[in-house]
Amino acid sequence: MATQFHYDGQIRRFLLQFTRMFSHYQVEYGKDDTGLPTYLTVPVRYGDASRQAQHIIQQNSQSSILNVPSMAFHISGLSYARDRVQDPQFVGKVQVRQREYNTNTETYESTQGNAFTVERAMPVPYDLNISLDIWTSNTQQKLQLMEQILPLFNPSLEIQSTDNYLDWTSLSVVELNNTNWSSRSVPIGTDEPIDVATLEFTIPIWLSLPARVTKMGVIHKIVSSVFDDDDIDNFDPLNSDDILLGTRAQITPHGYQLLLIGNQLQILEANAPENVKNTSFSPVTAQVSNVSWKAVAEQYGELESGISQMRLLNDVTGKEIVGTIAYHPTDDNILLFTVDIDTIPANTLTPVDAVVNPLRSGPGILTGTVAFPSASTGQRYLLTQGTGDINNPANDVATAWKGTDGSQLIANTNDIIEYNGSHWTVVLDASTTTSAEYITNLTTSLQYKWTGTQWVRSVEGVYAGGDWSLVL
Amino acid sequence: MPRLSLYRQDKTSDYRFLDRTIAEMYTVGGIDIFIHKYLGPTATGDSTIDPSAENFDATQPGSATTDPTFIEDLLLLENRDRSYDPDVYQMRGVYNIQDIDFDLSQFGLFLQQDTLFVTFHYNTMINTFGRKLMSGDVIEVPNLKDYHPLDQSIQTPLPKLYTIQDASYASEGFSQTWQPHLWRVKATPLVGSQEYKGVLDVYANPADADANLCGSVDGTTITADSTLCKAESYSAGTINDLLSTHNKNTEINTAIVAQAVAELPTSGYDVSKFYIEPVGKDNVPDNPAGIKADNTSYTVDMNHVTVDTSVVSPEANGWLAGYLTGNNLPPNGLPMTPGTVFPPNALVGDYVLRLDYFPNRLFRFNGDRWIKVEDNVRTNLTPGASDNKTQRNKFITNNTTLTTKDRGAIPTLQGLSDLLRPSADN
Repeated sequence: MATQFHYDGQIRRFLLQFTRMFSHYQVEYGKDDTGLPTYLTVPVRYGDASRQAQHIIQQNSQSSILNVPSMAFHISGLSYARDRVQDPQFVGKVQVRQREYNTNTETYESTQGNAFTVERAMPVPYDLNISLDIWTSNTQQKLQLMEQILPLFNPSLEIQSTDNYLDWTSLSVVELNNTNWSSRSVPIGTDEPIDVATLEFTIPIWLSLPARVTKMGVIHKIVSSVFDDDDIDNFDPLNSDDILLGTRAQITPHGYQLLLIGNQLQILEANAPENVKNTSFSPVTAQVSNVSWKAVAEQYGELESGISQMRLLNDVTGKEIVGTIAYHPTDDNILLFTVDIDTIPANTLTPVDAVVNPLRSGPGILTGTVAFPSASTGQRYLLTQGTGDINNPANDVATAWKGTDGSQLIANTNDIIEYNGSHWTVVLDASTTTSAEYITNLTTSLQYKWTGTQWVRSVEGVYAGGDWSLVL
Repeated sequence: MPRLSLYRQDKTSDYRFLDRTIAEMYTVGGIDIFIHKYLGPTATGDSTIDPSAENFDATQPGSATTDPTFIEDLLLLENRDRSYDPDVYQMRGVYNIQDIDFDLSQFGLFLQQDTLFVTFHYNTMINTFGRKLMSGDVIEVPNLKDYHPLDQSIQTPLPKLYTIQDASYASEGFSQTWQPHLWRVKATPLVGSQEYKGVLDVYANPADADANLCGSVDGTTITADSTLCKAESYSAGTINDLLSTHNKNTEINTAIVAQAVAELPTSGYDVSKFYIEPVGKDNVPDNPAGIKADNTSYTVDMNHVTVDTSVVSPEANGWLAGYLTGNNLPPNGLPMTPGTVFPPNALVGDYVLRLDYFPNRLFRFNGDRWIKVEDNVRTNLTPGASDNKTQRNKFITNNTTLTTKDRGAIPTLQGLSDLLRPSADN
C-alpha cells in the first residue's frame, strides 16, 4: 500500500515566524550602577507547553520561579474561511528551470540544470487565530511593551512562512483583532497575580496538499484545440481523426524547423531556405542557422545525451520516427540522432540503383566524364521524367533505353523500371499505383515513399514546426 | 478593689510573661525563616528629585535615599525598582505545611495552594528586623530547599523564596491580656521580576550547601560584600540564574528565531537557484555558454553575433520577476561588479550593482544604456537585526546621532513628546 502520509508543517512554520515577529522586544529593567536604565529582552514562546516539558524547564523543582515580563502565544482557533474560497478544483501549473547544482562545490552553476513542471492544487483557506499573552509584573512594563507593539498593527503586519518562490501559500498577514488589557480584577483583590494582557490576532492562511512535481517533458509541439464552428454541421467528434472539438493547431516556439541529414539533426529558423524541400530527390546539405540546440533545449530542461529523445512526425506517413539524441561535440547547431530502426518504415519495393532523368542520360552514355552504367539484368531506376511515346512506339527518340531486342521503353514520370536482360520494363507504374510504397535509392541511401502522387523523402529532410518533439 | 480583668491598657508583667513564653515556644518549635528586608525604592540621582531639573517628573519624583515609605510612581502607584538589604535576617516562624498542586499555566507551573501563612513573634521581629514585616519583603523557607534539581550540574541547592503579600496581627496571637504577640504574613511564591531584582541578582554560594544565600552561615551574617560571597568567586551564577526560567525561555526563544531565520532568511522569495533563459536579439534563445572560438556553428554572415559576444546574460528576471524577489544577485549567478559608478568599457550583458542607491540597484548594460534589473528589496525580518531594512526597523532600531551647530549630537530617535526639545547641558 502506498504511503498516504504527508506533512509539511504549514501551520508550524507560521508559528515560527509569529514567534520571530514578537521577539527581541525590550523593557526597562531597573538601573545600573551609574543610574542609567538597563533593558531586558522579553522572551516569547509557545504557551501550550506539555506538563513534562514545563517540569523540565523548571528543574522539576517547586523552588523554580516564574519570570516576567514574558510573552506566550497559543492557537485559539482555526476556522474554515468560506469567504475566501476559490475554485476548489483548480490546479496551478508552473514550469520551472533550476540552475545546475554542483555537488562537489555545493553551489549552483550558471548553467541550466533540471527543469520541472510543478502542479499545485488549490489550497484551502483557513483563519488561524492566535492569542498573545503579555505577562508583566507592573503597569509600566505593560505600557512599554504595548507602546512598542501596538503601533505596528495598523491593522496588520505581513508574515511569510517560507521563501520558496513556488509556495503560493507562504505570504499572509497578522491582523490585530482585539486587545484585552488585563486579566486582573480592578481594584486588585486579595492576591497580586501576574498581570496578563492579551492581544488576539488572525492570520488568514492557506493549507495545501503536496505539490506534484514532474520532469518537464515533451516540448516544442503545443497542440491546441480550436473549435471550428464553420463546420459545425459536419462535426463528428467520435469519428474524427483529430481530437474532440475539431481541428488542431500545432505550434512550435519561435517556429523552428528541423533538418535530418544522416544521423545529424540541425535546427533551422522558421524561414528555412527553399532548397531543402522534402519533395526533392537530391540529398540535402547542412544549412546556415543562427539557432543553437543548447539554447533551445535549455528552455525546457536538461538534455541527457543518449537518453533524451527526438520524435519526428512524418506528415506523409503520419508515423513518428523515434531516436535518442546527444549534443554534437563541436557544433552547437547539430544533434547526433540514433534512430530506433523499428520506427523507420521498411521498404516495400526492391531498392533502385539510382534516380535518373531518362531524357538526360541512359545506359552506356557518357555524360562529361561520368559514364552511365551499361544495362544489365536486374538494374532498377526511378525516373524523374517520362520517356518514349506510347502512341508512336517506333519513334526512336530514346535509343539509350532501347533493349537489345529492339523494344522501346515507354515510361512515365515517377515510374520504376527494371532491365530483364533484353529490354527495360516498367515494374511500377506510378500512374496506377495508389498504395504507399517505400523504396531506397542505393546511390544516396535515401528512402522515399510513394504518396500516390509523388515521391517524397520518408525519413530524412525537413520537419516543420509542430512536426518534431523533443523529449528530455 | 479593682475589678478582676485580664485586660490591661498597658503592657504589664502578665503581658511580658506571656510574651516571653510565646517567644520561647517559637524558638523551640519554630523554624528559621530568612528574610530579605525591603528598604524602599532604589535611590535615584539628584536630577530626578530636583523639581527644576529637566527630567523631573512629579509623578515619579525619585528619592535621594532608600525609604520604605516612599512610592516610586505616584500615577500608577507601584514600586518597580526596589532595594533590599544585602543582609539577610533570620527569625523563627511557624507555618502549616500543606500539600500543593501544580497548575500548568502558559508560562509555567503555578503552585496552587502554595500560599504560606507564617506567624512570627512580634517583639522578636521588631527587635531583629527593626520594623514589621511588610508587603514586598522576601522570605526564604529553608526546609523547602531543593538539594536535587533535575540538572545535576547545578551544585547549589535551590532555595524556596516567597514574597509577602499582606501582613497583620495573627488572630491566634492574642493572649488573655488582649494584646497581640504574633505577626502573621501571607506569602506567595516569588516571581522573577524587576521588583525582586535586588534579591535575585545576588550570587549564590555553591561552596557550602547550607549557605543558602549570601547571608547566613551558622548564624553569622555574611554580607554580599564579603569575600565569601563575592559574585566572581562562584560559577553558579545568581539566584536568578538558578531559580528563574528566564534564561531557559530565552534559549527557547533564540532557538525558535534561529529556525525561523533558517527557513526565511530574508523577506520575499529566494529565486537565486532558478535559471532564466538568456534571450538574444530577435528573441532568439542564446547559448548561455557563450560563443567560443572553436565553435563551428557560427559563421561570419550571422547578423546577431558580434565580436563582443561572450557569455549571454538575461536582460531581466524573466519569469522570476515578482513581489519581493529582488536581491541584487544577477540572474543565473552571473558575475557583477559592485560600485558607485558605472564602469567604462562595459560589454553587453555586464551587470553592475550600484551601492549608492538605496536600496541597492542592479543594472545591466545593453550596449546603449544601463537598464535597471532590480532593487534589493529583500531584508532580514528579525526585529532589531542590523540588516533589517524594514520600515519598522528604520524607526525603532535607530542608534545614530545627528550633529547640530548649537546642541552637539542629538539622537535621531526621539519620542514625539520630546521632539527637538533642547536638553540641558548639565
